[in-house]
Amino acid sequence: MLPILAWLILLPLIGAAVVAMLPARRPELVLPVSIAAALAPLVVAGYMVWEFETGTPNFQFGSDVTLSTGLDIGWRVAVDGISLFLIALTAVLFPIAIAASRSITENARTYMALMLVLEAGVLGVFIALDLLLFFAFFEIVLVPMYLLIRIWGSENRAYASIKFVVFTAVGSAFLLASIIALAVLAGDTVGTLASFDFRAMLATPLSDTAQLWLFLGFAVAFAIKVPVFPFHTWLPDAHTEAPTAGSVILAGVLLKMGTYGLVRFNMTLFPDATVDLGFWLAVLGVIGIIYGAAVAIVQPDIKRLVAYSSVSHMGFILLGMFALTSQGLQGSVFQMISHGLTTGALFLLIGMIYDRTHTRQIADYGGLASVMPVFAGLFLFSAFASAGLPGLSGFIGEFTILIGSYLTWPVLAIVAGGGVILAAIYLLWAYERVFTGPTNPKLAGLGDLGLREIALMAPLVILIIGLGVYPKPVMERIEPSVEIVLDRIEGVTGNEAAEFGRVAEVVPIEYGPIERRDDFHGDGSHDDDDHGEDG
Amino acid sequence: MQNAAFLPVAFEVVLLIGALAVLLVAVVAGRDRRYWGPVAGLAFAAAGAVGVIQFREVLDDGGGLYLSTMDLSIIRSPMVVMDGYSAFAAVVLGVVGFVGLLAAWDLVVYVGRRGPEFVSLALLAVAGLHMMVASPNLIVIFLGLETASISFYVIAGFVRRRSGSEEAALKYFLLGSLASALFLYGIALVFGATGSLTLYGAGSIRDVFSSTIITDPGILLAGLALMLLGLAFKVSAAPFHQWAPDVYEGAPSGAVGLMAAGVKVAGFAAIGRIFVGGFVSQIDSWAPIVAVIAALSMVVGTVLALVQSDLKRLLAYSGVAHAGYTLTALVAGINGIPAMWFYIATYSLMVVGAFAVVAVVQGPASSSAPLASFAGLARRNAELGWLMAILMLGMSGMPFFAGFVGKLTAFAAAVSVENPWPAGANGYLWLVVVGTLTTVIGLAFYLRIISTMFAGEGPEDRVDAGMAARFAIVISGATTVVFGIVPFPLLDVVRDALPL
Repeated sequence: MLPILAWLILLPLIGAAVVAMLPARRPELVLPVSIAAALAPLVVAGYMVWEFETGTPNFQFGSDVTLSTGLDIGWRVAVDGISLFLIALTAVLFPIAIAASRSITENARTYMALMLVLEAGVLGVFIALDLLLFFAFFEIVLVPMYLLIRIWGSENRAYASIKFVVFTAVGSAFLLASIIALAVLAGDTVGTLASFDFRAMLATPLSDTAQLWLFLGFAVAFAIKVPVFPFHTWLPDAHTEAPTAGSVILAGVLLKMGTYGLVRFNMTLFPDATVDLGFWLAVLGVIGIIYGAAVAIVQPDIKRLVAYSSVSHMGFILLGMFALTSQGLQGSVFQMISHGLTTGALFLLIGMIYDRTHTRQIADYGGLASVMPVFAGLFLFSAFASAGLPGLSGFIGEFTILIGSYLTWPVLAIVAGGGVILAAIYLLWAYERVFTGPTNPKLAGLGDLGLREIALMAPLVILIIGLGVYPKPVMERIEPSVEIVLDRIEGVTGNEAAEFGRVAEVVPIEYGPIERRDDFHGDGSHDDDDHGEDG
Repeated sequence: MQNAAFLPVAFEVVLLIGALAVLLVAVVAGRDRRYWGPVAGLAFAAAGAVGVIQFREVLDDGGGLYLSTMDLSIIRSPMVVMDGYSAFAAVVLGVVGFVGLLAAWDLVVYVGRRGPEFVSLALLAVAGLHMMVASPNLIVIFLGLETASISFYVIAGFVRRRSGSEEAALKYFLLGSLASALFLYGIALVFGATGSLTLYGAGSIRDVFSSTIITDPGILLAGLALMLLGLAFKVSAAPFHQWAPDVYEGAPSGAVGLMAAGVKVAGFAAIGRIFVGGFVSQIDSWAPIVAVIAALSMVVGTVLALVQSDLKRLLAYSGVAHAGYTLTALVAGINGIPAMWFYIATYSLMVVGAFAVVAVVQGPASSSAPLASFAGLARRNAELGWLMAILMLGMSGMPFFAGFVGKLTAFAAAVSVENPWPAGANGYLWLVVVGTLTTVIGLAFYLRIISTMFAGEGPEDRVDAGMAARFAIVISGATTVVFGIVPFPLLDVVRDALPL
């Protein structure tokens, strides 16, 4: 019996193989089999969320199999509070995205197989604790995504797909070079040629210069993936040209690979560099918030509008993360989940209307609410959720981020708060132009959402409300894992996280001998950790 | 092991017997392929098996020195050496020869009555290639190089009726002989500087370095440079790569895989044998040059491959880039040898497979292979499309495919060595950064090939591979995936494939 995380990766892969080998003369089988294959990891993920032990920062469900002793490469996987919900998000969004791909008829088997391979890759990214394994999953995701955009995208797909690949892959180039350099340094600690073990890397003392360059190497890759402001130009093209399911997955899950990498690797492995460079990344985040929102306002293309809104929302995540406060980081992780649900919902809805009208131009719509009331209601709901209406998940994430970052950088937080207002502007103005006013005669007679489409939206709506009303189950699982990251930063650098009732300031301390900690329990044991005391 | 004295030369012997047997059988039993075809396949298989036996023998012997008794004064000037290095080369060359012959089988069928000549030339060429690796004597290495090269000149021009093939052969011959001449000149200069032609044993070059101070290193360095240049030409490393695209494009598609793969395996192995085996004490002199050649190859090969519209030329330029990645491993000296082996062993099979696909689509004797004719290949033959996609992903260095593991080990080796420049940096980190960046750029054209095959508009008629070619493509595709996902057994093996 394989460990549970191996099943998590294997099930979609097996599903992909099965789908690819379905007989060509039975096209009606493709969709149900694909959905079933995508539901299998959801069952696993659900079990993991259920069984996950709260109140501990330890990695759980781990397995550790060394594959190469010389290079110290291994199947080292485990889940903590940060990755748990990203896995759950992935497992929720993929069945929905696949079920929403009914309009794909050409090469449907290849399409579905690629989607399932993509799912395996993304899940792998979130569980890998061996940096080579991580890189392998991080990079392999490119191929199915490229092909999904290139083959099933809309008019400008060739340009968008290659732009997506070139941008992301340039980042990966620096990531791979940095990982290899870090692995060779870590190899000295372990006594091998190289070591890709996350634990070995944590135990490797790094000079300030090394930290700086490695941090930059990792950060470029993740910043492009997120995307952080100056690297964002691939995103609108890719999101707009991708088929609906591709957009949902891109915005919902793939962008999170970047922010997840920043938390898991940049902040954890290079604490000194994080403290030194955190401010600048937060500034880039704030620029992204305002810039993304401002550009979204003027988009004539509704899908492009949502794409730019992602740039804005991801800016919040970056800001909260590098505020280096508990609230900020918790909010960031929460917002990753929330953004996946809300933006996923928006792209799904846009896909549904596009299937009917084959236009994405806002100007082609108008008065749609009287023709498709259910659709209008769901769109308004998703727009509110995305803009952060209290009671919905988007509010929890952004509000926590703003609190957390205000503690460290009040000015940045106040500017970022403006982004929330801008979000309301671009989403509600778009709603106004599409749904209200006189009905465009071309839209008359469009059928409202059917039961199947409502059923697709239902899980997202339920989760958005659920997380907005009662975020505690998620927060309490995220919190310990977030604390441990911040504790390590505090312990190593002496940078004290700002808290309520204390003035935010960086307290310099003498660098004594640094006691490294090793919080990874690959075997899933749950030692009691006295975090925060060995700095 | 006294009575194993023939084992070190068994690879060459088997192939030479095979080459003669093919001709003999063809004369005696008639020109029917059924008679001499199996003989050729058997010879390659037996040669590969000899490699395995050699490798086990070397391991049992604790990897010790194992010289053949071809010369009476064994220790004085050994002509053949059997170590993990030459034994592994025998395995790789046996497999590449076997799969390459399968891939070339359609061409053999096409040339009809001249088939036996083609096959025996291929057998001779591979025997020569292994001689380059198995000899510690520079002159014998040269002889091996010439044996292989001359056979391949003929193979490149084998389809005489087509001017493209003849042009390719003439180009290959003229430039190739120049490179051979330079290599020979390098040997002469090295002999002038050190007074020795052997790499191992008493009075060898290594001995000279350890006991004598070379008073005039200029001649030695000039000799080293010329030898490196000659071999860099053979493996088509930039800036000595210009022949490759023309020759690959002109030569009959069915034969290019064997030519390209075989020469690369032996060329890199010879560089490793001579420079890492013999001139290891001079590593500070040659490693930076190799590093520059590697960087140039990666950049030039990748950038020029981007703008190709012919798949064979594209693969030729990508081969230039791959020469760069392989040389990256060699920069690390002895630490890089396992990485070099892994890379070249997996890459050579991918090359054979990729050219086999070209030969299937364009015909075995074709010369040009415009990319447009591969549009929609996945619809014309799904199996062929998927396998070619796997091979392209393998070459591009995607994780879970063999090319990634090869690049990774090569880069790790290059980072792990001491490096004179820039001081304090992590080995040849700059070279690795160049390598990862060109890998990314390379992704653009490999993915373009894949999307052309899957999404392009092209002819819809079904295209079918012959049994042999299909087998060759499946083998290369399967190894690409298997060694990409479970590379560890092979990684363990290549760790023992070191030169003495």
